[in-house]
Amino acid sequence: MSDKQHHHDAPKNPYHESPRTDEQNQQLKERVEKIESLLIEKGIVAGDALEKLADIYENDLGPMNGAKVVARAWVDAEFKKRLLDDATAAIAELGFGGLQGEHMIAVENTREVHNIVVCTLCSCYPWPVLGLPPTWYKSAPYRSRVVIDPRSVLAEFGTMLDDDVEVRVWDSSAEVRYLVLPERPPGTEDLSEEELAKLVDRDAMIGVTKISTP
Amino acid sequence: MTGDRHARPDIAEMQAQSALPRKSGEMVFQNDWERRAFAIAVSLAEQGVFEWSEFQQQLISAIAEAEQDDPLKPSRGYYESWLVAMETLLEEKELLADPNQ
Repeated sequence: MSDKQHHHDAPKNPYHESPRTDEQNQQLKERVEKIESLLIEKGIVAGDALEKLADIYENDLGPMNGAKVVARAWVDAEFKKRLLDDATAAIAELGFGGLQGEHMIAVENTREVHNIVVCTLCSCYPWPVLGLPPTWYKSAPYRSRVVIDPRSVLAEFGTMLDDDVEVRVWDSSAEVRYLVLPERPPGTEDLSEEELAKLVDRDAMIGVTKISTP
Repeated sequence: MTGDRHARPDIAEMQAQSALPRKSGEMVFQNDWERRAFAIAVSLAEQGVFEWSEFQQQLISAIAEAEQDDPLKPSRGYYESWLVAMETLLEEKELLADPNQ
């Protein structure tokens, strides 16, 4: 990972910062308040319900499409090949889009290699595939320690790796987001794709845990 | 494991131009009025005042209008367009008239 290739400033999105003067903000606020008070007066919306609604959407975990991607890769070798080759396209095949300029890369866990994903500088994360990032993913200790000592971080998540397993740490950026393709747990040969998808959790797709046999 | 979801995917996961501004998945509100305007539109859809698709179409038109000259420098922000879309739709449904007048 070189600094040159690594930057976290998201591609310019004018909608993250539209400059407005205080006066413009005040006018916009008044327009919203006018609508709100009219609708409250007509009994169409309720003020406290609005607050709760905003909370719900802000805390919504989002899509866990990644689990379906992983399950498909476990049952369909051709899909898995395409996923490892060009994850953005393979994920789009399943109808999951919404990536805004980010390129997805899938990295496969095997008997020899364990992959783990971090964003060292901020919290770059593939929302359309994994939903909202967990709090620890954004925490400074995780972000710094996983690079220096991934094995002890993994151990804290209860993930013990044999000494001969190579650990690879992938640093997400504004342009590139990673998805770990976990190992299919033994004893799941008879499960359907849907049943398999239910076994796949977010932590395993970040690479801090493995998936155990149900 | 899909987890509990209380948000409607057709709202939370709008794509392309109408996609909600997010940073690493978290919604971005620059001001309280944006958050409020967001909640009002969602509430109106939940109350059945309009279909979400109807609102989304208005939103897409409002954004397209703002991006007409230069998509990288829209003439107004996302939630300004959101507000325009909401006003247009409420106007159409004659819900913006002041009952006291």
